[in-house]
Amino acid sequence: MNGLMLVARREIMTQLRTKGFVIGLLITAVLVAAVSFAPKVLGGEDSYTLGTVNSQQLPLQAAAPDTKFEWRQFPDENAATQAVVDGDVDAVLVNGTKVLTDGQVDGELGVLLQSVNREVKLGAAGVSIPPLQMQSVGADTRYESARTGIAVVLVLVLFMLIIGQVMMVAMGVVEEKGSRIVEILLSTVRPWQLLGGKIVGLGTLGLINMVTILVVGLGSAMASGIATDFPPGIPGLVAAVLVWFVLGYLFFAALAAAFGSLVSRQEEVGSVLTPLTMLIMIAYLVAFYATNDPTGTLATVVSYIPPFSSMVMPVRMAATEVPLWEVAVSMGAMLLAVPVVLAFGAKIYERAVLRTGARLKLGDVLRAK
Amino acid sequence: MLEINELRKRFAGSPGSPVAKIALDGISFTVRPGEMFGFVGANGAGKTTTMRIVMGVLQADSGSVSLRGEPIGPGDRRRFGYMPEERGLYQKMRVGEQIEYFGRLHGMSAAAVKKATDDLLEQLGLTERRNDAVQALSLGNQQRVQLAVALVHDPELLILDEPFSGLDPIAVDALATVLQERCRGGVPVIFSSHQLELVERLCDSVGIVSAGRMVAAGTVAGLRAAEAGELRVVVRDPAPGWADGLPGTVTVDGDRHILRCTGGDDQEILRRAVKAGRVEHFGAEQPSLTDIFKEAVA
Ligand SMILES: Nc1ncnc2c1ncn2[C@@H]1O[C@H](COP(=O)(O)OP(=O)(O)OP(=O)(O)O)[C@@H](O)[C@H]1O
Ligand SMILES: [Mg+2]
Repeated sequence: MNGLMLVARREIMTQLRTKGFVIGLLITAVLVAAVSFAPKVLGGEDSYTLGTVNSQQLPLQAAAPDTKFEWRQFPDENAATQAVVDGDVDAVLVNGTKVLTDGQVDGELGVLLQSVNREVKLGAAGVSIPPLQMQSVGADTRYESARTGIAVVLVLVLFMLIIGQVMMVAMGVVEEKGSRIVEILLSTVRPWQLLGGKIVGLGTLGLINMVTILVVGLGSAMASGIATDFPPGIPGLVAAVLVWFVLGYLFFAALAAAFGSLVSRQEEVGSVLTPLTMLIMIAYLVAFYATNDPTGTLATVVSYIPPFSSMVMPVRMAATEVPLWEVAVSMGAMLLAVPVVLAFGAKIYERAVLRTGARLKLGDVLRAK
Repeated sequence: MLEINELRKRFAGSPGSPVAKIALDGISFTVRPGEMFGFVGANGAGKTTTMRIVMGVLQADSGSVSLRGEPIGPGDRRRFGYMPEERGLYQKMRVGEQIEYFGRLHGMSAAAVKKATDDLLEQLGLTERRNDAVQALSLGNQQRVQLAVALVHDPELLILDEPFSGLDPIAVDALATVLQERCRGGVPVIFSSHQLELVERLCDSVGIVSAGRMVAAGTVAGLRAAEAGELRVVVRDPAPGWADGLPGTVTVDGDRHILRCTGGDDQEILRRAVKAGRVEHFGAEQPSLTDIFKEAVA
């Protein structure tokens, strides 16, 4: 165990010291923060400045409680027109009968003004209309767009981090094999310690990345205010994402080590890993599809199958409400698959890593004693 | 005492080289505590394969390796020092950190490893390079780092595969001194080399391996005794046909006749030579290790 921790520590220290890691982390943080603020910057305003000329203020606040309204009074229509053209106000109500705007009125504001105006006039005439009661009999769709947004960001982050860390595992294995350092290492530590240390070390770096993204993402979502649109259960989702990331990473990293140990040169890493990158791509594509259709048959079925479940299930969990038992079954399957794949990867690694030279065939390695 | 007993290893054919190859064919030898053991043999004789099996990097098909009578396992190997034939270091890691890392892997405490690294860097003349990345060092200096990696944990057995190749004469002496020091401390040292004069100078015992078998082993003096020394006689301007009937061969260099022979009655040869002309040289040549080697693997 001590050997494993020493190997892991070396991996972490080596990476933490590189400029690449620190810069990569900073860039990710900035990107995630930008994504969290984007809806705020790009999306429609939800505060309006309105003006009146010889009119009563309309009770807009009661009709749209989430929006902020600010009112100004103008002495005459000319002053109001000037303010509209200068962009000081979004709209001005004149004589309670017309609205001045700069170009087409903002859709939401237009509807709001019309309906509140109608209501006020009817009320004054003694007609009172009870507002329609809205009742959903389908799924709770209040948070749909927020959920989709979170799911899309999540699928990208999971994909980038898993494929990035998994490539590092393979490259590290090949570095040690190609330079024959393994020969000294394996006369001191057991193969499982060496491989385990590498996987644990690079996985820890992946987790550091993941936690940074989550903290920066949630932090800037709260700062920008879009967190108010988030569905309930975010802490649970965060915990689930971390667990799924670890499980998915372990699965793919074990395979990366196995495939990587077949070659002795860095240039061969890409081609020997092709089957693995394909597997991750499939998981990514299905997960991406699931952001849009999280309850469809494809997403639902694939979210049970290891290793795809490690990306599809967290995305489904973000995009919709997944019953707990479904998550439990899917995670159970993955928990069974991971040790099997780890054992398989360690076996291949142990047999192949000292056989330098030409690229080995997986079948030959399996058959050899 | 390290005992290598009847090791056999066969490499199965691969698509690139379809014939199977017997690398070790029942090699046996022992190395005593404090003994410097020179492992020599032609290219492909099986030296590296033997050392890899001792280090557990390869598995033998049969045979055993034991230390003080017990078969060795991973726990023992952690206390060995090993310098593989194909050198391997983390190119981007700093010299000092690299040595310390391997010391830690061998189970040393952080404080002990720091001290051992300082001492080794000093001994090997690398103190100034401590914070340089390995890739910035010349090949010979990288080799010194490799040696430091093998020595850092004060190993109880040293296995070095061609440690002297690629070193300048000064580095050879520095390395030889370090090894002799360890050896005097009771550590058995096994190293392979093609520099036979060096082996002859440094080693208490020599093992000559050929085609996977130990064909001669023992002290250099012992091997010499087994190998009859060659008699060399130089006679100035002798009567023609003076050596007729004597064993050996005569070469003529100007008016000097040089007779070389092994075996035969040396006193009779001397009498004949004195009668034939002026004897300039008469003596048994010590066979060099190179002679012994060539004889043994022939
Ligand atoms: N991995 C391998 N696969 C197939 N054959 C091998 C392998 N390793 C060694 N051999 C063969 O085993 C024999 C012994 O090789 P070994 O490397 O032990 O020789 P050596 O005595 O160290 O030679 P050198 O002085 O050239 O280093 C050689 O014929 C070699 O071709
Ligand atoms: Mg060799």
